[in-house]
Amino acid sequence: MNIFKKKEKTAASDAASAGENTQQKNSLDIFDFSGENAIIVKDVDLYYGEFQALKKINMQMPKYKITAMIGPSGCGKSTLIKTLNRMNDLVEGCRVEGEITIGGINIYDKRVDLSALRKNVGMVFQKPNPFPMSVYDNIAYGPRTFGINKKGVLDEIVERSLKQAAMWDELKDRLNKSALGLSGGQQQRLCIARALAVGPQILLMDEPTSALDPISTGKIEELCEELKNDVTIVMVTHNMQQAARISDKTAFFLLGEMIEMGDTEQVFSAPTHPETERYITGRFG
Amino acid sequence: MTKVSSTKVKDVSAKYLFIVCACLSIFAVFGIIIYILAASIPAFREVGFFQFLFGTKWQFNTDTYGVLAMLCATLVVTILAVILGGIIGVFTAVFMVFWCPDKLHIRYRGKNKSMQNFVAWMNSWLSKINLRTIFDQIIKLLAGIPSVIYGYFGIIVLVQGGLVNMDPYHRGFGVLATCIVLSIMIIPTITSLTKNALEAVPAQYFEGALAMGNTKAQAVFRVVFPAARSGIISALILGIGRAVGETMAVQMVAGGSVNFPTGFFIPIRPLTVNINMEMGEVVPGSLHESALMATGFVLLVLVLIITLSVNLVPKEFKGKRGEKVLHGTSGEVVYRKKGLIPEILKYFGMVCAAIVAIALFAVILFICINGIPNLSWGFLFGGDNYEGHSLAPAFLTTFYIIVFTLIIALPLGIGAAIFLNEYAKPGSKFVKIIRTFIDTLAGVPSIVFGLFGYLLFAQIFGKNVFAGAFTMVLVILPTIIRSTEEALRAVPMELREASYGLGASKIRTIFKVVLPSAFPGIATATVLSVGRIISESAALIYTAGMMAVASSSVSSAIDPTNMGSTLTVFMYSFFAEGLAYEEAYATAFVLLIITFVLNLIVYFIQRQVKKKR
Repeated sequence: MNIFKKKEKTAASDAASAGENTQQKNSLDIFDFSGENAIIVKDVDLYYGEFQALKKINMQMPKYKITAMIGPSGCGKSTLIKTLNRMNDLVEGCRVEGEITIGGINIYDKRVDLSALRKNVGMVFQKPNPFPMSVYDNIAYGPRTFGINKKGVLDEIVERSLKQAAMWDELKDRLNKSALGLSGGQQQRLCIARALAVGPQILLMDEPTSALDPISTGKIEELCEELKNDVTIVMVTHNMQQAARISDKTAFFLLGEMIEMGDTEQVFSAPTHPETERYITGRFG
Repeated sequence: MTKVSSTKVKDVSAKYLFIVCACLSIFAVFGIIIYILAASIPAFREVGFFQFLFGTKWQFNTDTYGVLAMLCATLVVTILAVILGGIIGVFTAVFMVFWCPDKLHIRYRGKNKSMQNFVAWMNSWLSKINLRTIFDQIIKLLAGIPSVIYGYFGIIVLVQGGLVNMDPYHRGFGVLATCIVLSIMIIPTITSLTKNALEAVPAQYFEGALAMGNTKAQAVFRVVFPAARSGIISALILGIGRAVGETMAVQMVAGGSVNFPTGFFIPIRPLTVNINMEMGEVVPGSLHESALMATGFVLLVLVLIITLSVNLVPKEFKGKRGEKVLHGTSGEVVYRKKGLIPEILKYFGMVCAAIVAIALFAVILFICINGIPNLSWGFLFGGDNYEGHSLAPAFLTTFYIIVFTLIIALPLGIGAAIFLNEYAKPGSKFVKIIRTFIDTLAGVPSIVFGLFGYLLFAQIFGKNVFAGAFTMVLVILPTIIRSTEEALRAVPMELREASYGLGASKIRTIFKVVLPSAFPGIATATVLSVGRIISESAALIYTAGMMAVASSSVSSAIDPTNMGSTLTVFMYSFFAEGLAYEEAYATAFVLLIITFVLNLIVYFIQRQVKKKR
């Protein structure tokens, strides 16, 4: 069992086989998150056809922290977050150069199994996208596709995920109802619970609150603070107050380049780059 | 002051005019039901309703009428055809939407220079072709081919080419042949409707599933497919409706004798075939005629039930019944890579698409190979059929019927669409009722239209081109209303607001702003209607008439108060009279070309519209 389709000796597959020895049954948990940084982005260039959307991005996202990415529209922050679980593979003509290392493995290696990657790197989208199924089936969906069919185990995962997403009390009596009947905020938290159900190490959030009202937004922010005990969170946000409120690290992007990254407090109180200062003080963007 | 009030009067009267247009579908459906029921009452009275429905013998020389065997034949053949055609059609659609490559590319790793050049040349050509579009267009083309052609294909290729040898009695006709032909005929309908349903599923569902570690096949079959469920079920139900109502093709391969469908090679006579086989020799006003009308009535009721059941399909998932109580057990949670079944289904989809491609290709090739050698100038535009054969009279009749039908149907259909989209409150009960009736009218089998036209229009005008045209108005009305409505809906609200903002009245806004922007859609509707008229046969035989080949001449066809055969009916005559198979092939080819050109026009109109947006 290996996440690579072909067995070849590389640094990455060494890490894989190390994981294999300790957990033989599990072919999906080959990422080794024992290091300090969950994600290391190194010299990443990204092109949509001829257009270069990301230019030489270098950054590290520390484990069990919230990293916020801010910047004006079209600066490449959403593009970057989509490269972290390779969702941009869906975009035609998209080309990535450089290295993104997650859990010790370069995820742009051709032999990486996307299923394993995305199981470990969950994603929450800008618009809540629950499936047209019941609440229960939505959350059980992920585990089911990964071969868990025992009712008891599924029940437990559903309960655990809903508790983790702090909506167990709201939803425990309506598990059989359609998820589409929930409010927007509930739908988004359900999507978070759904992502948690497959046990990811990293959670990517692409403007998770931009379609929600302030109260729902507050709930999701609270939830993020709780979740960072278990998962590493990377969040794109348009809302600078949000970044300042909940993130530990903040990265500022402009026109496809990362202008600066640092501890959130430092970035917001004493930005080193004049462009950053102009943006966070609201002079453009 | 007077000016204002006069525009107001115009506005209000226009509104009522549009309402009348919209209600026409309701009148038409009720008219059809009442007329055919009234005509079948003598048979129900003489034979007895239950005796008619459950009797197993049908002999018109002894006035013994029972439709049970034919009803069973219809049901069995339809169910088999929908299982076969439904599975293949649905999976073909899945393949087309998710896996069909846009471009083909040949890879060549050899060292042969001339071969390399050849491959490069091929690739430069292939890169210009969009495979998905072509597949899509071919499926649309096949949806538009007259059913007579499918029947012909069924007899020559399917029955005589293969099934004869498998049949212990060496006939080849019967249940199997019918259900294969029917499934080929309904595949285009099912595929294109399923395709629409799949494409309407929000991309977020697909992305959501992928982001959770699903493979593409898992995401497609576990999320997108269930999400499109209601649309797929509707597609299948419409397929059933089409199969139940199909007449001409079925008549050619069913065998025609009244038997219960107890085996694959038992010759059968479905309801539609029963009507069509005997209507030609019926004595007007006889019990026999009434019994055939009663057969039509049974068929109509069957189709109404099927069409109306589309409305019972829930549009979205509303949740399951009861409450869910969790009984968690602390078992070990082990995530494993899974997903063999979706992968298998994906390859099954490819196989289905290949089958469809082959079948479609076979139909087209069959027509071309047999048709082209028999074409000649004299045959196409020669003149009379007293000696030799010529399509000229049929061209003339077809042209007349198209023109007359469109002159009547276009204003009515556009008016109805205007009411539904511009005046009616969206979602109101009235609109829902009208929509249901439009859908019902669209589902009425063409042979039932034929019977209705025979009872009403052929009595008024006599059997001639006008009676045919009036019947065709009812046939194409739903198409025109729906496509026009779609086009109107696509006109942005801002345009209307801008016009109102300048003080224009509603009626002026509609005619000067909305309709012109919806023109491409209306043009599409018109072209589609032309296609429908050309491919129609069963609705025309009893209304416009079916001329004996030898007696059809230009001098007779030039007068629309005479009987006349359209191209499709004419092709059927060639076949039915059994004398001129070459000519039938050639006519089939001409019909194919016409259908192809019409589809091409629709394609270019729609592409033009897409470019503008």
